[in-house]
Amino acid sequence: MSDLKFSEKGMQHYEWLLTRYPDKQAALLPTLRIAEEEFGNLGVPEMKYVADLMGISPARVFGVVTFYTHFRRAGTGTYHIQVCSTLSCALRGSQEVCDHVAKRLGIEVGETTEDGLFTLSKVECLGSCDTAPMFQLNDDYHENLTLQDVDGIIEECRQEAARGGAR
Amino acid sequence: MSSGETSMVNWVLNGEAVQSPAGTTIFEAARALGVPIPNFCYHPGLSIAGNCRICMVESNRSPKPVISCSERVAEGLEIQTDSPMAVEARNAVMEFQLINHPLDCPVCDKAGECVLQNYSYDHGPDRSRFDEDKNIRHTKELGPSIDIWGNRCIVCTRCVRFCDEVSGTGELCVVERGDRSVVDTFPTVPIDNPLAGNVVDICPVGALISKDFKFEARVWNMRKTDSVCAGCARGCNVEVQSLDGFLKRLVPRENPEVNTWWMCDEGRYDYRYDLADDRVTSCSLDGNPIDDGTAHQALADMLGEGAGRVGVLVDPFLTCEEAHLAGRLATGAIVGGWTSRDGTAQCFPGGFTISAEKAPNRVGVEAVLGDQVFSGGAAALKSALEKGEIDTLVVFAGFPHPDLDPSWAGAIGKAKRRAVFTLRAGAWSEGADLVLPSASPFEKDGTYANEDGRLQRVRSYRAPGEVDWGSDLQRLQEILRLAGARNRVLSPASVFRELAEESSAFNGLSYSTIPPHGAPLAGHGAATVGAEGGAQ
Amino acid sequence: MSFQKVFTRWTDDPASHTLAFYESKGGYESARKAIRDWAPDDLIEEVKASNLRGRGGAGFPTGVKWGFVPKQTDKPKYLAVNADESEPGTFKDRVIMEKYPHQLLEGIIISCWAVGIHTAYIYIRGEYVFAYRRLVEAIEEAYAKGYLGDKVLGTDFKLDVTVHRGAGAYICGEETGMLTSLEGERGQPKLKPPFPAIEGLFGCPTVVNNVETLANLPYILEIGSEAYKKVGPERSPGPKLFCVSGHVERPGTYELPMGVNLLSLINDTCGGIWKGRKLKAVIPGGSSAHVLHADECDVAMDIESLAAAGSMLGSAGVIVMDDQTCMVNALVNVMRFYHHESCGQCTPCREGTGWLEKIVHRIAYGHGKREDLERIDQICGRMVGKTICVLADAAAFPAWSFTQKFRDEFLQCIDNGGSPAVKARHPDRIGGGLHV
Repeated sequence: MSDLKFSEKGMQHYEWLLTRYPDKQAALLPTLRIAEEEFGNLGVPEMKYVADLMGISPARVFGVVTFYTHFRRAGTGTYHIQVCSTLSCALRGSQEVCDHVAKRLGIEVGETTEDGLFTLSKVECLGSCDTAPMFQLNDDYHENLTLQDVDGIIEECRQEAARGGAR
Repeated sequence: MSSGETSMVNWVLNGEAVQSPAGTTIFEAARALGVPIPNFCYHPGLSIAGNCRICMVESNRSPKPVISCSERVAEGLEIQTDSPMAVEARNAVMEFQLINHPLDCPVCDKAGECVLQNYSYDHGPDRSRFDEDKNIRHTKELGPSIDIWGNRCIVCTRCVRFCDEVSGTGELCVVERGDRSVVDTFPTVPIDNPLAGNVVDICPVGALISKDFKFEARVWNMRKTDSVCAGCARGCNVEVQSLDGFLKRLVPRENPEVNTWWMCDEGRYDYRYDLADDRVTSCSLDGNPIDDGTAHQALADMLGEGAGRVGVLVDPFLTCEEAHLAGRLATGAIVGGWTSRDGTAQCFPGGFTISAEKAPNRVGVEAVLGDQVFSGGAAALKSALEKGEIDTLVVFAGFPHPDLDPSWAGAIGKAKRRAVFTLRAGAWSEGADLVLPSASPFEKDGTYANEDGRLQRVRSYRAPGEVDWGSDLQRLQEILRLAGARNRVLSPASVFRELAEESSAFNGLSYSTIPPHGAPLAGHGAATVGAEGGAQ
Repeated sequence: MSFQKVFTRWTDDPASHTLAFYESKGGYESARKAIRDWAPDDLIEEVKASNLRGRGGAGFPTGVKWGFVPKQTDKPKYLAVNADESEPGTFKDRVIMEKYPHQLLEGIIISCWAVGIHTAYIYIRGEYVFAYRRLVEAIEEAYAKGYLGDKVLGTDFKLDVTVHRGAGAYICGEETGMLTSLEGERGQPKLKPPFPAIEGLFGCPTVVNNVETLANLPYILEIGSEAYKKVGPERSPGPKLFCVSGHVERPGTYELPMGVNLLSLINDTCGGIWKGRKLKAVIPGGSSAHVLHADECDVAMDIESLAAAGSMLGSAGVIVMDDQTCMVNALVNVMRFYHHESCGQCTPCREGTGWLEKIVHRIAYGHGKREDLERIDQICGRMVGKTICVLADAAAFPAWSFTQKFRDEFLQCIDNGGSPAVKARHPDRIGGGLHV
């Protein structure tokens, strides 16, 4: 099949996780996070790997991964821009931010740029309503955004990618 | 369940004081009391999900309606199943179920046996207030035998729970969330387990579709016959569905003592042999086709004067009644039985089992002809054949899929004269003097006893006037009549009465009053399926 | 007595999240006191006496909840800390976890001591990565110093804490949805009964408490239940973190006593409506709370007062809308949220949330009909009280309250071909289909 496997560090983390829960199934979400760290995106081979590693059915893993919105699904670009769009942010210009990102990147919401660098998503309330408008770029929140800030962030990502140091 | 007496609980159902065993759900208690409550997601063979909400009833213990599938009866509980609150709750759920449901009835196989369709009649609404675009979900293949038409899926999760709990294979899941959720499989792991077909039965709507049955027939046009599966010695209860004399589908019937609610795919999809082109369909004498009357007379003659030493080789597809008659074909005959090679037994987490023995009535034939017939009797017959001692051999080979011990082929050929009743042509019928067609298990009326010793009725799916290859029971009686051994050709019930008189295993049983779940033969500790932790 | 800040007193200090800092300010003294001076059952009574109400949104009395856990049981007991914080307009738990993680840990120790729990999980929403890292660091510090582990604070009390990240689902803030997610499944709420206190995580007795609720405990131990009850109204007392967002000059998290006046919060604390505009509407307790018309905002921000005003304190996520806000558009946004977040398990919510969004969207985009308003009302009525959890109710409340209190605006959209805000932004999309 595939030669996916966790690094030694990843496997150690996984073994440690198993000691924190009385039921192995409970380690699924954190193990999927290890898989994200190690493999980048959770595509079919990655989900299968986790299922086989944990001895649970691949369908169960699939049902879990597709239920949640914050896992990096297959096809997610290196830089995942998740624009918060719920009421408080919408009241303070989140639509403009989203439209601006879309225009700058040349993609629609839900799409990934052809070079695989950027994915643009609209997400629900990120718990940063007082610093609206904002987006989450991979792990990090970027708050109180102006359209200029957005341009700057996109440029930084491009430069980082060009230097070969992504994420 | 604790041993000893279960305490009873006094409660009130629709204004009437009633009693039910403690621990029963309101749903089951009401059903037992003759008050049906609608259900989609609840199934007695699966864990409780409580997600469809259609079973809501009014309770004195709650300001909101409660779901009857999971709430238990309690002392002093008062439940109303048809109060305005209960009816409104039910109507609400029905309306919500229908707003995104596609109007597929004209092209959907489930029409006529669709729970959603039936409840629309009973509980409405009769028109839609939904003016929006309906959701779209996938239509795709889920496995080699099952498709899903996702727009129809009501996410009741019965199929998912079945694969988790009963087959233990876990191939199904719900993906996405909200009104985008739908049943799916992992992209590279299709649903492909020995019990997969059951998910189509339990789907309350036409979301899960059997490829075997897709677009084959409208359920209300089909003739339905209660019988048992002949695929193995479990003897799962089935409903045989046919249209214009063609078998269309087998579905399991509920029998808590035999198969609970399920049947396996091997049995379910294996009916086409009934109308296969390579079935033997007419009698032949020395290779030349003859009519039934001539054939019966020929066999009667073979068994008459000059028969010499007679051997009778019975198969485990004969009904008890046929076995009884086969045993009387000649006095002093050596009677032995032969079987098809065993397959693999399979046990599933939910308690369901598939027998390794791929024949339905070895136990029944033994009960009629003696429990040595397939062992000692077979050995004696084979030995006699090998030694050339058998002059006239009658072979029964009603195997749909013969996988026979090759040593018999040699032995059979040594009989001086041979008459063969067979489903298919094979080494055992080659060179036979007389060949007669055997009925398939679908065409028999009689009784089979499963591996637990439980006697059950098989019934022919043939409607009167449909093409009939001729029932073995009639043939055998006709032959015996021609041979002077019987006066009349009787019904299976009367033959049964005869055999019951002779065999103590059938003590006290009568053909037409065999209970719906079968009856244990005396001397068999008939085990029940699911005795250890099975579905309740 | 003047109001003593408990959560934000040292927010500006960049080291406020460290153990050293927290200890220097007397941190973990309350936990020591709890284990040393209080028998567990007495501690439960003390928390009951304090009238501490849950801060997650339901406002259930915390001590009473603890009291539901069976005293005699063979099963292990668990604490599941609800740090899922996904109610729109809410961001207070994030402040606590990022700035004062040790205050949360101290609260966890106190609650676990009271109920006899030795294993606690902090279920933190997946998106709060920074807060997660802060928590992990804090927990490492606590273990290193012996505040967690086999001998908590040098006593024989054993306690393990694990942070468990969610992965993006509002429904995992519902207590049983959170437990199901913790167990490694799709985060779908469970049927109740049984309730978590009896049969929760892994089938064992479980206390589910919000971050802010637990973070109140050190203060209660510090000043005692009698004094705590005097902070704000007695029936729902205590220092409270209010999250204010939307059209105010100074959105943010503000620590004030329970019972502060809403208009005062908006005008005095938050600098009033931005851009010189006027107040039009406020959602006082996260988007699941009934919206308040500007006329209704002269109300005390505590559990009882807001309930009496026909809304709720909920998560204290205050969303302020100015007089240029299109309420129809705002409702589309809120309905889209619930449609997106419904777990899909039970029929009324799965189908109803979608239906509601589609109708309101259609109204905003110029294809509404007068009977749509009645339809919305009927749909809400058919959702509420018929589901496994209250997300259906949470979706129905804004649908009901927006269309009732701002009915004229909805009628305007229906009669005049859509929302002016939508017309301005999408002149080409007026009259089009649903774009989700």
